Amino acid sequence: MRTLRTLLPAALLAVSASAQTFVIRNERWEVNDPFKMDTASMPPKPLVDPKKAIINQVTGSVQRTVLQSGIEVTNTRKLSEVTQVIWPEMPRLTEARAFVNRGDPAKALDNVEAVIKLFEPLKKVPGSLWLDATVIKLDALDRLNNDAALGGFLDTLEKDEAASLPELATKIQLSRLLQRSRRGDHESVIRETDELIGKMDDAGVLARLHIVKGSSLLATRKYEAAMNAYLRVPVFYGTEQDQVPKALLGAAQAFRGMDGPAVREQKLEETSFRYLRDILVTYPVSKEAEEARKILPKEEIAKAEAEQKKLATAGLLPDGAAIKKAAVRPEDDQSANR
Amino acid sequence: MTAHTESSTFRLARAAILAVLIAVTPAPSVVRAQAAGAVVGAKAGEDPVTTLFREAEQLYDAKKYREALGKYVEVEQKAQEAEDMYKAVISFRKASCYYFMKDWPRTEAELTSFLAKFPKGTQDFFDADNRRGVAELTLIESFSNQGKWDAALVRLEKIRNSLTERVEVRVNAFALSAKISVDRAKSGTEEVKKAGYSQAIGFLQQAIGEGVNTPERREAAIQLVEIYTKLGLAKEAEQLKAKVDAFKTGSPADLIRSNFQLLSIGDARFTSADSAVDEAVRDTLYRQALASYQGTMRSAAVARDLAKAIKAKEEALEALTKANPKPNDETKVRIEQSKQDLEGFRKIDADFKANKDYDAFISYRIGLCLLELGRPWEAYVAFKDIFERNAGFSRITGAYYYYVITLRQMGRRDEAQKVCKEFLQKFPKADETSPVAITLGEISQDNEDYKEAINHYQWARDNVSNLSPDAAMELDFRIAACQFSQFEWDEARKAFDAFSAKYVRSPVRQQVLYMTALCWFYQGKYKETKEGFDKYQAEYPKGMFIPDVRYRQAIVRFGVQPPETEETIRMCEEWLKDYADDKSDEIQVQLPDVHTLVGDANIRLAEGFDKAIREADLVARAAQSPAARAQALAKKGEIEKQKEAFTGKAIDAYVAAAKLGMRNANALEFVLRELNKMLPGRGEHRRMRELYMELYNWDTKDPKALTYLYEVIRATERMGDRKEFGERSEEIQKKFSGELAKARLKVDQLERATPPVKASIDAAKNEVKALSAKLADELAVVEKERQAAIARAKDNALKILSDAVAENINDRRQEGAEKLIGFLAEKLAKKVKRVRPGTKPEPGAYTSADAEIEMRKLLRLDENKDSLVAQARGFYALGQIAVFTREPAKTELNFNKIAANYKADELSPTILAVVGDHLLEKGDLAKAETYFAAILTVARSSEYADYGYAGQAEIQMRRKKYKEALALCDEAIEARALMSKELNVMFIRAQCLAETQKYDEAKKGFEEIAKTKEWRGDKTAGSLFWLGMIEERQGRLPEALAFYRRCYQGWKRYESWSAKGYLGAARMLVKLNQRPDAKVLLTEMLSKDRIKETPEADEAKKLSLTL
Repeated sequence: MRTLRTLLPAALLAVSASAQTFVIRNERWEVNDPFKMDTASMPPKPLVDPKKAIINQVTGSVQRTVLQSGIEVTNTRKLSEVTQVIWPEMPRLTEARAFVNRGDPAKALDNVEAVIKLFEPLKKVPGSLWLDATVIKLDALDRLNNDAALGGFLDTLEKDEAASLPELATKIQLSRLLQRSRRGDHESVIRETDELIGKMDDAGVLARLHIVKGSSLLATRKYEAAMNAYLRVPVFYGTEQDQVPKALLGAAQAFRGMDGPAVREQKLEETSFRYLRDILVTYPVSKEAEEARKILPKEEIAKAEAEQKKLATAGLLPDGAAIKKAAVRPEDDQSANR
Repeated sequence: MTAHTESSTFRLARAAILAVLIAVTPAPSVVRAQAAGAVVGAKAGEDPVTTLFREAEQLYDAKKYREALGKYVEVEQKAQEAEDMYKAVISFRKASCYYFMKDWPRTEAELTSFLAKFPKGTQDFFDADNRRGVAELTLIESFSNQGKWDAALVRLEKIRNSLTERVEVRVNAFALSAKISVDRAKSGTEEVKKAGYSQAIGFLQQAIGEGVNTPERREAAIQLVEIYTKLGLAKEAEQLKAKVDAFKTGSPADLIRSNFQLLSIGDARFTSADSAVDEAVRDTLYRQALASYQGTMRSAAVARDLAKAIKAKEEALEALTKANPKPNDETKVRIEQSKQDLEGFRKIDADFKANKDYDAFISYRIGLCLLELGRPWEAYVAFKDIFERNAGFSRITGAYYYYVITLRQMGRRDEAQKVCKEFLQKFPKADETSPVAITLGEISQDNEDYKEAINHYQWARDNVSNLSPDAAMELDFRIAACQFSQFEWDEARKAFDAFSAKYVRSPVRQQVLYMTALCWFYQGKYKETKEGFDKYQAEYPKGMFIPDVRYRQAIVRFGVQPPETEETIRMCEEWLKDYADDKSDEIQVQLPDVHTLVGDANIRLAEGFDKAIREADLVARAAQSPAARAQALAKKGEIEKQKEAFTGKAIDAYVAAAKLGMRNANALEFVLRELNKMLPGRGEHRRMRELYMELYNWDTKDPKALTYLYEVIRATERMGDRKEFGERSEEIQKKFSGELAKARLKVDQLERATPPVKASIDAAKNEVKALSAKLADELAVVEKERQAAIARAKDNALKILSDAVAENINDRRQEGAEKLIGFLAEKLAKKVKRVRPGTKPEPGAYTSADAEIEMRKLLRLDENKDSLVAQARGFYALGQIAVFTREPAKTELNFNKIAANYKADELSPTILAVVGDHLLEKGDLAKAETYFAAILTVARSSEYADYGYAGQAEIQMRRKKYKEALALCDEAIEARALMSKELNVMFIRAQCLAETQKYDEAKKGFEEIAKTKEWRGDKTAGSLFWLGMIEERQGRLPEALAFYRRCYQGWKRYESWSAKGYLGAARMLVKLNQRPDAKVLLTEMLSKDRIKETPEADEAKKLSLTL
């Protein structure tokens, strides 16, 4: 016989999870987003909703003013008392991720540092964005190719208590591998990535590991193996959109390495161009698209642009793909008037 | 390709997992805690009816429903005066017992009675719920179980429309209505099923009309997702699933269910894609299916989530048990529920672990989607993943089959064949053996390696035990067809005859008949050919080979003795009338053949007049009188005219064949050869030029286009030397020859006169002289015009060439551009009047400076100032002119300009290679390295890849990075990119081996070079020297001495090696204590002029001083 089993608490939780909230001693405090600015005021000031609590980073506390029997009462809690963070979205982080993908790591770092600082006291609290921000920072430093800065940050992270967080530990391991790959320690990087690939089951981590492995294989001229490693990303981890353009670029380079007069029938140059065109069509504002443009001949670029236009008109581009804006002619540029 | 049917194992495994999930997640159970509590809590000394009821409840708790039912009936009989509430409780319990005993008619009767008699239901006996709602739903279920769909739906309709009913109950009623609609339609026709699903969709859409924010609504939504998926409405399913997922609690059960739904949606899309007709829709569906599969969790992640879920359930159960050492009834129910949940998850886990195919199936599906989307390289990775990680996959044979297809699409024929053989040996009983067995040979056949194909087909025929009859027949046919393709006519015909006898009703009978006749045809046995084709035409008057058969029948007429040439032409004309407008590929390819045959037949007819012409000529020569001669000549002219008519027709036919020959290389080659002989001889240069221009314009980037362009230029140049100049010259000479003869006769006569009058003789002589001068003047006028016309034609030719170069000068990848530049440079260089170095050219003479100016103009470099590659090609062109005019300084200057002004990625492969070599020769390793590296990155498949490998390897070697140089050489060998640099690569490789103390291998390398006749020269000398070095380094001094001697004695021309050889030999003599001999040798060495300037000479001097 059927009974009506309700899961109302879970449903309620799902419904209320739309605002920035700190759970403190089983109380739910909605907090103001310190990064939300009132752009109407000059200079822009943070938007403050008096009904919501305010985070005070200096004192490491959060304050909330409520009306109790007609009297305004301000309650203060330490950030260390927060037991859960519910922060559904953070545009700064989304933007930072986009900057990393577009090959603008400096801007990504600008965005991400403030978030790291904000969540620093809450780094191990469930739902904290510290980990996400830190991971983006690592990606940005990777992209900067500044081994000194990356090394320093990794050293600090490794000493941090949060280093025991599994996701961060994996990310640190990945960044170290990348660093070593850049330094030319390819054989051991290949060995270690192979070991890690066998142990991991997270699609994002696996995609990154295959890219690191691919780059070391490429550097050691093991082109076929590099192609295999890179192509596993679009084949099996196609949902990891951040990683796909890197893998496509790597695969295109591997195809060029594999090419030679004896394997003409495999049309490897054409295949390589096809992957580069895919980057231009699907990820036109990525760092990899810039690289692809440098490699591709003009007519191939034109082909890709026509293809992108066609797909964009038909609405077939995947989420996240954006059309590269047409260059503004100097006489049309109005930016100075703003 | 068609989609592969999914294995039932996989489908069943997945269904089992889903079934368990559905069973445990919204697990239906009877809430009876309060009721039980009421009985258990009864006071001692209660009345017998209460005791009886308690006993009944205990039996009910113990799931002994039959016994419990007996007790409830007893209670009912004894408590007839009891309040309605108690009577209702007994009735409800009885109904429950019937329900659990699955006695649907009695359940129905009892519940109908309960609902009719007790409008207040069980009131608050159990709890606030009076059980009427549950009774309603259970009654509906019992209707449903008895197939009483309408009654069930009527009841449900009441609940659905009841405003007093709780929302959750109404939502459930909608969901149940949907289920009943589907169940009811299950055994019906397709139409009924469709209507059932449609009704169910309507109910479920109403259930979720206000969103999916409650568990009941989400259940309904999930049910709707499944129906959408079943109906192939993947888009709707995915959208709704996304809505449900947005509410997911993050519980592993949710994740796993969501995961399997995603998989189902992927399958639905894949199936839809497979049946889609529109290619664009098909691709979109495959892409969407791919996205679904890619988003599906892999087994490790599913197992991890399941483990987490089990652990959480275990912990919850443990906590619940510990916290309630003496559980009350409600807690007991909760504990029981937790145990059931845990068991459910353990079962899922066990089922999932038992399913070894999960990951492999995802890879398999991904591979198929990618293959269908034309992405073979990615499909290759997907299929490879199966072999590497899931070798025991239940569909491994299917994976192999598609892997073979993938390899073929990638252009990896050898690997594909290897896999085919491996497959046939590993899986001799698989369903796919037949297609794989055929593919094995087909790969060779497609590669036109017919011998190998026959071997493979024969091997498959002999070794593959479970070939289908059709496959066996196909193999036999293919063997015969391959014999045919490799021109083994007798063998092929016999094979076709045997095939026809063996497979009388074969679907390829038509083809076999046709090919059998062709075997006779190619053997030149026209009688048998005709019989064969007649048979074909009789059996298949509208057969697919009729056009070809008719054409070949015409050839037979042409070939028989005596030939039936007119009949041939008639048959061809008929053929052209019937098929000339047919645009099918076969006809388009055959058209040039038919025109060629018309041409050949006309040539034969024209040649038929030769004998008559010769005879008429003889008659004319032998004619005694001018009249007879004139008559004979007139006759000859008449015959020649007739011949000319046929020759003209033949030329027209050949030209037509050439113009249609784009896709028929054989016919094109033949007619061009004929026309190349005929047209220039007839002075038809313009026609020649027009024809070749047309051919050139087919595809200016085609390798053959250069040949056509060459003919265009030649014809254009010849057009200048027109026939009329010759005719005019002849006319003038004719005109003057009579007058001159007369004048000379006059001189002769005057000289013979006695006495000769000197003045008259002189006057007559002067007249002859004047006439001669006049003749010369008139001829000079014609010649001047002729030369002007030739010059104009040459200019035209250069313009054509310049146009062709200019067309591609901006395209970096167009390798033909440099070839044309070379051609152009050669033409301009020929115009240069060369003078000895230091000598001034004659005033007005065409100098190399003029050639350079003209080259700039022809390449239109001023129009392409913004194009880096065009400008670089300009310098290259100037360098090339200097090569032809033998001015090495200028060549160097221009190549240096390229090196100084352009980055490697701005240049074409040819320039990178040529200038790179130049830089290497000059010792500019850094710059040369960028050029060679650019070849290896952007032009690996170009004709100049070998320059890249050899250049880079030499640079690394010069930097003493022998390991790197060796790796490059090995890579070049592996990539078979040696071409013109094979010797260089082998020599560098051997040197690197020697430098890394791998003497045996190095020795082999040098010996190979030294003994190869084609490589005799500088590297032979070098190899001998290095062989000496290898011996010396291993302490074998006499052997080393022998090699050094061979080096300087045999290869004096190559002073750098010769010097090294001398020095090495002297060193060996010193070490062997033959110091005087060493001294003599060094003296000899230093006496050689060519050696004096070498670095070894200085060393030799120093060594000599020590002796």
